[in-house]
Amino acid sequence: MTSPLSDEDLVEGALGGDENAFSQLYERYRHPVYATAYRIIQSAEDARDATQEIFVKLYRSLQSWNPRKASFSTWTYRLASNHAIDCWRIRRRRHETQDTEDTGEKVAREYALGDAIRSPYREAAGRELVDAVCRCVDLLPELQKKVFILRYFQEMKLEEIAEMENCSLGTVKTSLFRATHAVRRALRKARS
Amino acid sequence: MPRSETRHYSEEELLMHLLQEETPEAGENIAGHVRECGECHAVLREYEIVVARILRWSVSDFPAEVWEADRLRLLELFRRDQAWLERRGLLRTLMHGFESAWDYALANPLPTLGYVVVALAFASERTITFLGLDRVVPATSEVIEIIRQFF
Repeated sequence: MTSPLSDEDLVEGALGGDENAFSQLYERYRHPVYATAYRIIQSAEDARDATQEIFVKLYRSLQSWNPRKASFSTWTYRLASNHAIDCWRIRRRRHETQDTEDTGEKVAREYALGDAIRSPYREAAGRELVDAVCRCVDLLPELQKKVFILRYFQEMKLEEIAEMENCSLGTVKTSLFRATHAVRRALRKARS
Repeated sequence: MPRSETRHYSEEELLMHLLQEETPEAGENIAGHVRECGECHAVLREYEIVVARILRWSVSDFPAEVWEADRLRLLELFRRDQAWLERRGLLRTLMHGFESAWDYALANPLPTLGYVVVALAFASERTITFLGLDRVVPATSEVIEIIRQFF
């Protein structure tokens, strides 16, 4: 049995125009990229569009990936989180201008979408607590949001995130602590 | 007596300990302290619960066929971009040729001038008239004629 190709091999192939190599990279990273985008943007459809845009950006900038500076996954998550933050900003602005829209309508639409894409977390016990986490994360400042998602869900080390964000380890630690602390408060509130 | 017993740790330090993001020596101190200190133990326990709650935030996925359609669209774009890059490659080859010629001209100005003169000499009378070289540099036609006869 042949061992799966490494990220480096696939990138090399994609750079040489090998469609199959790029397709394998897509298969490998599609879900984590989508999950990162979803947790930042918090809209399934927008996160899906963002995923597509992230992969277009990815193959157009593959040349700039330096394996000595960061692993391919770190580089990809950086691209994904930055793009998702941009999309989240646009979405937030759009929502600010759509104040007239009925909140109930919005919730109904989200739930209708949930039917189409299955939403196990909504059905699970403690749904309110998970919703409290989502709402709290949506309100976090950009850096805190990014650090929170990359550390807890992509299991990146804080040192890697600091390097990726070009800031000190202390800043990243404080950001993660503040974000977690905010979530802790939100959970307490939700429980009470 | 271990240093860890001398002070309470901040919530940030306890969280970093929980996530194993501290230095190994700090980790040992905090672990020792937490074993003895009920207050810090309680904070650490609460963060454990918070982190467990956070990790329950799962993301539901679209059906496979939705992603398959997206993948095909993406590959189509990839193919188009590759074709464009190939065209750009051809242009780059032409540019490279021009740059090489320019470098040669700078390194060997006299032979280059000779080539240019010969090229001009063999240019037709009509081209000289068309470009209006006679008006720009007087007696161009005569000079060209002399060069032509010479070669």
